[in-house]
Amino acid sequence: MLLSALIWIPVLGAIAIALLPQSVPNLWARRMALAIALLVLLLLIPITLGFNPDHLEAQFSEYLPWIGVLGLNYHLGLDGLSFPLVLLNGFLTLVAIFCTRAEIDRPRFYFSLILLLSAGAAGAFLAQDLLLFFLFYEVEIIPLYFLIAIWGGGRRGYAAMKFLIYTALSGILVLASFLGLVWASGAKTFDYEPLRHHSLPMEVEMALLIMLLIGLFIKIPIFPFHTWLPDAHVEASTPVSVLLAGVLLKLGTYGLIKFGVGLFFKAWIILAPGLAILATISALYGAFSAIAQQDMKKVVAYSSIAHMAYILLAAAACTPLSMTAAVFQMVSHGLISALLFVLVGVVYQKTGTRDVTILRGLLNPERGLPITGSLMIIGVMASAGLPGMVGFIAEFMVFRATFAIFTIPTLICLVGTGLTAVYFLLMVNRVFFGRLPDNLAAIPRVAFQDHLPSLVLTALLVIFGLQPAWVVRWSENQATDFVVSPELRRPTLGTAVRSPLSAPSLVAPAISPTLSSD
Amino acid sequence: MVELLLQNIWLIPIYGLIGAILTLPWSFGFIRRTGPRPAAYVNLLMTLLSFLHGSIAFNAIWTHPARQVMWQWLQVADLTLTLKINISPISLGALEVITGISLLVQLYALGYMEKDASLARFYGLMGLFEAALSGLAISDSLLMSYGLLEILTLSTYLLVGFWYAQPLVVTAARDAFLTKRVGDILLLMGIVALSNYGEGLDFSQLASWADDSTLPPLTATLLGLALIAGPTGKCAQFPLNLWLDEAMEGPNPAGIMRNSVVVSAGAYVLIQLQPVFTLSPVSEIVLITLGTVTAVGGSLMAIAQIDIKRTMSHSTSAYIGLVFIAVGLNHVDIALLLLFTHAIAKALLFMSVGSIILTTSNQNITEMGGLWSRMPATTTAYVVGAASLITAFPLGEFWTMRRWLDGAWPIPPWLLVILGFVNILSAMNLVRVFRLVFLGPKQPKTRRAPEVPWPMAFPLVTLTLVALLIPTVPIRWTLWLSAGAPMLQVPPPWTITWGLPILIASGVIGLLCGFWIPLQRTTARPTQMGLRFFQDLFAYDFYIEQIYKLTVMNLVASLSRLAVWCDRYIVDGVVNLVGLATIFGGNTLKYNTSGQSQFYLLTIFLGVAALFWLIFSGQWSIVTSVWSLWFAGG
Repeated sequence: MLLSALIWIPVLGAIAIALLPQSVPNLWARRMALAIALLVLLLLIPITLGFNPDHLEAQFSEYLPWIGVLGLNYHLGLDGLSFPLVLLNGFLTLVAIFCTRAEIDRPRFYFSLILLLSAGAAGAFLAQDLLLFFLFYEVEIIPLYFLIAIWGGGRRGYAAMKFLIYTALSGILVLASFLGLVWASGAKTFDYEPLRHHSLPMEVEMALLIMLLIGLFIKIPIFPFHTWLPDAHVEASTPVSVLLAGVLLKLGTYGLIKFGVGLFFKAWIILAPGLAILATISALYGAFSAIAQQDMKKVVAYSSIAHMAYILLAAAACTPLSMTAAVFQMVSHGLISALLFVLVGVVYQKTGTRDVTILRGLLNPERGLPITGSLMIIGVMASAGLPGMVGFIAEFMVFRATFAIFTIPTLICLVGTGLTAVYFLLMVNRVFFGRLPDNLAAIPRVAFQDHLPSLVLTALLVIFGLQPAWVVRWSENQATDFVVSPELRRPTLGTAVRSPLSAPSLVAPAISPTLSSD
Repeated sequence: MVELLLQNIWLIPIYGLIGAILTLPWSFGFIRRTGPRPAAYVNLLMTLLSFLHGSIAFNAIWTHPARQVMWQWLQVADLTLTLKINISPISLGALEVITGISLLVQLYALGYMEKDASLARFYGLMGLFEAALSGLAISDSLLMSYGLLEILTLSTYLLVGFWYAQPLVVTAARDAFLTKRVGDILLLMGIVALSNYGEGLDFSQLASWADDSTLPPLTATLLGLALIAGPTGKCAQFPLNLWLDEAMEGPNPAGIMRNSVVVSAGAYVLIQLQPVFTLSPVSEIVLITLGTVTAVGGSLMAIAQIDIKRTMSHSTSAYIGLVFIAVGLNHVDIALLLLFTHAIAKALLFMSVGSIILTTSNQNITEMGGLWSRMPATTTAYVVGAASLITAFPLGEFWTMRRWLDGAWPIPPWLLVILGFVNILSAMNLVRVFRLVFLGPKQPKTRRAPEVPWPMAFPLVTLTLVALLIPTVPIRWTLWLSAGAPMLQVPPPWTITWGLPILIASGVIGLLCGFWIPLQRTTARPTQMGLRFFQDLFAYDFYIEQIYKLTVMNLVASLSRLAVWCDRYIVDGVVNLVGLATIFGGNTLKYNTSGQSQFYLLTIFLGVAALFWLIFSGQWSIVTSVWSLWFAGG
């Protein structure tokens, strides 16, 4: 029941907040949202304590037959891949709600949507059923669309529409791939584990994988499907950017590993060199685009594109280390980009602009934003891979793992991390160094609670940077399991045993021969 | 007790870090009542603690066995990362130099930075500097050293950018960071590769690995080059040399550290990496070439500068160039000795320079003169520092050169030429600066210059005494690192018999030239075109900066513009074109619906509803059959 609670408590909370009577002050909407986010985090404590990273099966499984004729079941489970991301989602939801000003317009609607968004992401990470994953993957689009379209900046209509069209397309492709897999393999279920043992002809597998990949590339995003992201980030408000960069993009990379590698391993191996090249292009493209940006948020957004590409590179390499590194890089990028967006948000809130040609000298200790500036320097250094922070060790693991397999792409991606220093340093130099101009002299003071999220995030960056094992240990075994080729994988008779329904009839006949041949 | 201090030598970097962290309340203004001074005292105390701890350990290590302390940091799949520190006379000696200079510099900064409002921030950064440097001294793991080098890069950036409100400072800080970063990224590539090829990333493992490595020559060469790149940036060697000169915009006490121990940190890592370079002759040749180009070029650039700090910083590059040559020749012990003597001499010179800058509020040597009688301690420090830097009996560099030329190492003739050349130019330049600053008539800016206050004079005099004592180190040096150095050759070749006399003679020639060349205190420039050309060439650093602007920076800027253009007109252009068509489609329907967004949303909802209808009404089989037909066909 714990996993369901992670999804349904925010949903119920969202409904409750939406239904708050008008007589209740608006402030309560934020308080309630905070309380619910905290509750979810508290729920994660028993899950963390009970989670055993040595078990490769999905843990805390919940199985409820839903629509039998379709093979859709409400099957949730937590594995080493989803566990860090679920934690990240819970934590960043709290950060996002905390960062929201209490006097925001229509707070009831806003906080409901944020909670729904978080619930959707949690559901997608927990789903052990392809169709269920797809449902959550789609459901999460709707709150995000409203969050951008209502509380966004000047071009919010355009950005929200672009986001909607892109991600809807992404969903359709993912769905098509899933449906194709199920029907082509003749399975009668969308359940994840049995489907891994399909024996499709290579060309079918390849077609399905490519479809899935394009869908996920839009989400991650990978060049050339990325243009929705900078627009969405620029128009979205700070908390939405935090969730978008920190959690929702991870759905794409999570899908890459869980479904791309997990379901279509043979085809993935064939495509891998191409994927590595695509990742390299995306990394360099993101980095070079970031250099010329004038808007701080766009710099961070393009840097996101570059850093997410390393996950694709790692996933393409398909070694135990690279898979673990990919998961670690997701967590690392989630924390770093969240920190950067929070800080850009503070600058924007206090100065009213994010334009690097206008901002200047904000490090001024008396009238500027010295603490925000210092944290920003730490944040960009973490992103540029300064050792001692989480960005370094995650990227080092990625490159160390991929070097032996894709030497040239790895070296080029390393140039990309060098470029990270270039664009972020240019930004920091312009915005925080120099003399504070007179038109910026009246910057309001930043309250301690505005600093709190970034301080906590910074602390996490340093802690996980010094103790990477604390993140890596959760996912190492699971990530390793993904690259064991399906033929060598141990028979998963456990699937039927594990599900409370213990309905072997659900295991499709097409798959049974594979099982017995193992 | 002593054993405990030895075993816990890793605490020394932590002391510096604690000092740095403790300054935060003052630098962010949480504590205002006391002023920023307590932050400085806290750091001085921590540095004193490091120095005492290090000194006791250093004394003890001669009677205790050298050892290594290891921590397992991360173990994932096939990757095992360990952090390892080395407790040996060399590492503790390096630690001693670093903490000693840091202690003197921090004391010196009390006087130099006295009136600066951001004193606390300065001391915080110095604490970070010291922590990273002392960590480097004892680190025995390439990964840890890389990390500490990066932290040095960051703290250099922040220290150079200390007075960030000035435009020149901002560009200097940026260039310092990015130039070093270029080297660091190449070094990281080398580490990633080495971690794939080698057994581990520990320096002590590298030697045994290199002995029986079967790396193909091309790979070994590329690996060597990548590993050279990091120290090249750190040590301000050609072609990554410009940052050091620009970094002179930062506060001078940080400049003392930078020119003595920070540049040495890069070379120290290079020395530890030396076994890898033996794998590939090309990387040794590259080391020697880089060192030679920088030694010659740096010396030439130095003689044309009129900024007192910049001329000294070019000379730093030149001397570290000699270290590169020594590493390239496998004369590792000499490289270490050169680093040591240079660090002390340069620290002393920079302290003297700092005193001059503070009292005259000026860095332009053509506007100075006649300071010798007004500032005796500073003058003495300058003279001792200068004499320690050139091959002059009986100070540090002389004894180091003597060790180099005493027959234990083969000395090719070209090496003598380079050493002689650097020595001549260095002597000439130091005398030129001496004449301009200390001799001659007093200038408006030097007329009322007093001697520096005691917080600066004390470290100045202390370091002068130290510089007079350090010749014992090269004299008594046991060849720690090159146990297998060739024995004395009989009969000794002429380069060894005549080496030292030639160097001494070159020093004398340099001194004479320095006294002989005419000096203009006005900005008048030579009238001969030839001389003028060379003055400009050297003064503008061989126009390397302009070349970079035209090449690397231009390339990056163009590529980024191209990417943005492509993003806007090609990738997004196609999307928007498609989108435009849709919006046109939407426009026709707009009159029926309230607006386009709602229309799209409606479509989505209708689509999802249709999907659910198909699911729930049992019509799914239609879709199923279509798909299975398709796949059956495929």
